[in-house]
Amino acid sequence: MAELKPGILVRLSLSGAQILVCIALLAVWVLAQAPVSSPSAGPSSLVDRGIDLAAKGRCEEALPLLKRLADDSDKQLKYRAQLATARCAIKRKDGHATVTTLLALRHEYPKDPEVLYLTTQVFLKIAEEASQDLARIAPDSYQILELEAETLESQNKWPEAAATYRKILEKDPKLPNIHFRLGRAVLAQPETQATTEEARKEFEQELTIDSTNAAAEFWLGEISRRDGHWAEAIPHYTSALKLDPTYPEAMLALGMTFNSDGRFADAIKPLEGYTKTVPQDPAGHYQLAMAYARTGRKQDSVREMALQQQLSEKNQAPPSPDNTEPR
Amino acid sequence: MIERRSVLRAMGWAGMGLLLEKSRLAGAVFPGSESPFAFEELLPVTSGISWVHTSGKSPDMYLPETVGAGCAFLDYDNDGWMDIYLVNSGPSDFYTPPKPLRNALYRNNRDGTFTDVTLAAGVPGNAYGMGVAVGDYDGDGFPDLFLTQYQHSILYHNNGDGTFTDVTAKAGVACPGWGSSAVWFDYDNDGRLDLFVCRFVEFSKATNRQCGLGVEHHRAYCSPAVFTPAPCGLYHNNGDGTFTDVSKESGISKPLAKAWGVVAADINNDGGMDLFVGNDMVPNFLFINKGKGRFEETGALAGVGYSGLGTARSGMGVDAADYDQDGWVDLFVANIDHQSYSLYHNTRDESFSDAANEVGLAAATWLLSGWGVKFFDYDNDGNLDLLVANGHPDLMVEQQFPNVNYLEPMLLFQNTGAGFKNVSAESGPAFSKKLAARGLALGDFDNDGGVDVLISQNNGPPVLMRNKVGSRNHWLGVCLVGKKANIDAVGAKLTYKAGELQRHIFKVGGGSYLSAHDSRVVLGLGSKSKIDWLEIQWPKPSERIERFTSLPIDRYITIVEGQGKALQL
Repeated sequence: MAELKPGILVRLSLSGAQILVCIALLAVWVLAQAPVSSPSAGPSSLVDRGIDLAAKGRCEEALPLLKRLADDSDKQLKYRAQLATARCAIKRKDGHATVTTLLALRHEYPKDPEVLYLTTQVFLKIAEEASQDLARIAPDSYQILELEAETLESQNKWPEAAATYRKILEKDPKLPNIHFRLGRAVLAQPETQATTEEARKEFEQELTIDSTNAAAEFWLGEISRRDGHWAEAIPHYTSALKLDPTYPEAMLALGMTFNSDGRFADAIKPLEGYTKTVPQDPAGHYQLAMAYARTGRKQDSVREMALQQQLSEKNQAPPSPDNTEPR
Repeated sequence: MIERRSVLRAMGWAGMGLLLEKSRLAGAVFPGSESPFAFEELLPVTSGISWVHTSGKSPDMYLPETVGAGCAFLDYDNDGWMDIYLVNSGPSDFYTPPKPLRNALYRNNRDGTFTDVTLAAGVPGNAYGMGVAVGDYDGDGFPDLFLTQYQHSILYHNNGDGTFTDVTAKAGVACPGWGSSAVWFDYDNDGRLDLFVCRFVEFSKATNRQCGLGVEHHRAYCSPAVFTPAPCGLYHNNGDGTFTDVSKESGISKPLAKAWGVVAADINNDGGMDLFVGNDMVPNFLFINKGKGRFEETGALAGVGYSGLGTARSGMGVDAADYDQDGWVDLFVANIDHQSYSLYHNTRDESFSDAANEVGLAAATWLLSGWGVKFFDYDNDGNLDLLVANGHPDLMVEQQFPNVNYLEPMLLFQNTGAGFKNVSAESGPAFSKKLAARGLALGDFDNDGGVDVLISQNNGPPVLMRNKVGSRNHWLGVCLVGKKANIDAVGAKLTYKAGELQRHIFKVGGGSYLSAHDSRVVLGLGSKSKIDWLEIQWPKPSERIERFTSLPIDRYITIVEGQGKALQL
């Protein structure tokens, strides 16, 4: 990682998944340490005054007033007061207060644009600082490369991501999850026989390092299924489901493959599992309808096909006339 | 009536034979460059085909503007040389051409050039043209023309003297609305060609919608999702020059379509011709012929209606052929970008499995939008290859998806026996041209055994490509003339053996998009210099099986049902 300077990391944009992980981890930590809120409450006018002071940047004076907010205060007042508290916490670089207040806001106002914007901004900043620290503290670590590869993935730069994963493996070929991610990055590129083979080898390698990686088993199944090798695909999906019985994609893929192989009776169980887990996906109902139809369960088939058609039509509903989408 | 038809057929055939004898068909060699590629484009200056399609694109973005039109190879004058027909736009409720537009019939001059004979033949079209289907519906030996149009279609009867007569009203096949592809086939096995007509959607100028991203300069063609689906039509040939609309009682009009392409083929080998219809944003249809004039639509449960993920794709062109020679007809649909095209392998129980991934077609077609499509053995090695004509329907698509283009190249896939290999790049400069391709017709216009290609473009000139590679292998061209079976022998099965090479070809009806093809079948023999035998299984009601030996190669022959001999031409 010698060639990657901290400055480069500052420019890395973090993926949504990475931000969510940051938020989740911080939330656990913060909530565990959150103080019990005081039942005491001040008059609304004091809180209003606090909000005004906060808007003027006079946070030292504002914060004691904002703490007078009563639990049964007007909802709008609460919202404004919490936002003002969060802004003051950011201004004062009080990480704990910032995170606590933002998470509370996220919980109470999950669809508020200002709350979402502020949360994104703060957690991006935290992530950015953490990545700079990582680059400064451990510039040659594989974690730096992993972070870089994941960023490239989020930008759909699959060949570059694959190259970075390969660098990690040069450092330590036995690191868990890296062969898996390399395989996935290779598969995301234009498909050739060579890329498919490379991906297959990486997934297999991953399983020798971490035999519990259900996703690696799933992708091995996918490679075989794409090639029409049903008999090879089925054991991989089955293994994936043994490792993670709640893996919905594996349930669907196993059911589809059984159907393709003419093993309609075997397809029913995984497809029923899938339609229970993801009832809104027409794919499950369609495949299940075919499995029922071919095993003599006509009524069940008709029901599933109706569900499939209902969901498909919902997904393809004509857009409104004033903003109709083109083809 | 039957007797009269038989006589007419015989007369037509006899007339054709005389003309063919004069023209010395086999192994024609035209002057031209010694191109190393499989296909060579014949430019208008060489071919004489100067006609250009005009779509009449308008600021109001009427959807018919972007989807037409079709093309055909047909031998309208029975001289043994494939002529060309091209469909144009025309007047309609949403379009008044600033100057008159017409379709074009080009007569083959037998030297690689063509002469426009449209007006003399009387086949200009009379509305906003879409597609063309060719079939000898009255069995007089001369191919007739059915043209789909918006807002009504036309049947041109071939008079046998180089002219045609519009018999639409008498025949009763005006098919009001927006017709797209059509196919002639004998659904009730009475020996007469019936007519199936795809309809797209309910459309009119008055109900046109403004689509796009909400601002005027981003106006775009509407998705088919905003239009109401429409029923397809089936017309029974009464044998007296008239047809009866049997759409309702046959079950054809029950499911509402947004149909672009159709192919007629016997997918369950029961002797009844089934229909596969490509629909846009509603499930594709598989109409199983149940006999007694009835069809049952089984597309969804047969595995051809939806993608494997249970969503209706935007199906456009379709075709059918037994690409893997297992004795069962497989199906193909060209879809829109980000859907991949579908190759439905027949699992022999009236159901199919999409094999596009495993044979290498899915990845190659992921970003393309396909219209005209046809299986054919372009190199005459005995394996059925695949050609697809592409082009996105939305002029604005590049603003939405930078990696998708409005103009797209054709794709040629060579059947290796183990899969399909994309050989477009090495098949000639024409394959790197970006086209607004729509129709695709196949026909051997120079009679050299290499099946040539005609592509029609939306708002552009057609592309005519001469096959330079087919004649490097051995071949036998066969023209089938049904007597008890329908005269065009749609539904026949040809099986042949040359040394260790044994192959069969099902003669399907239609296929591609808005287009019609040379009715002759070319059998690829590879390097085999002798054909051991050829067996013809005539479609019902005949079901006669005839086997021929001592056949010539590298030329065309004609086999008339029941005569027991092949006529060499």
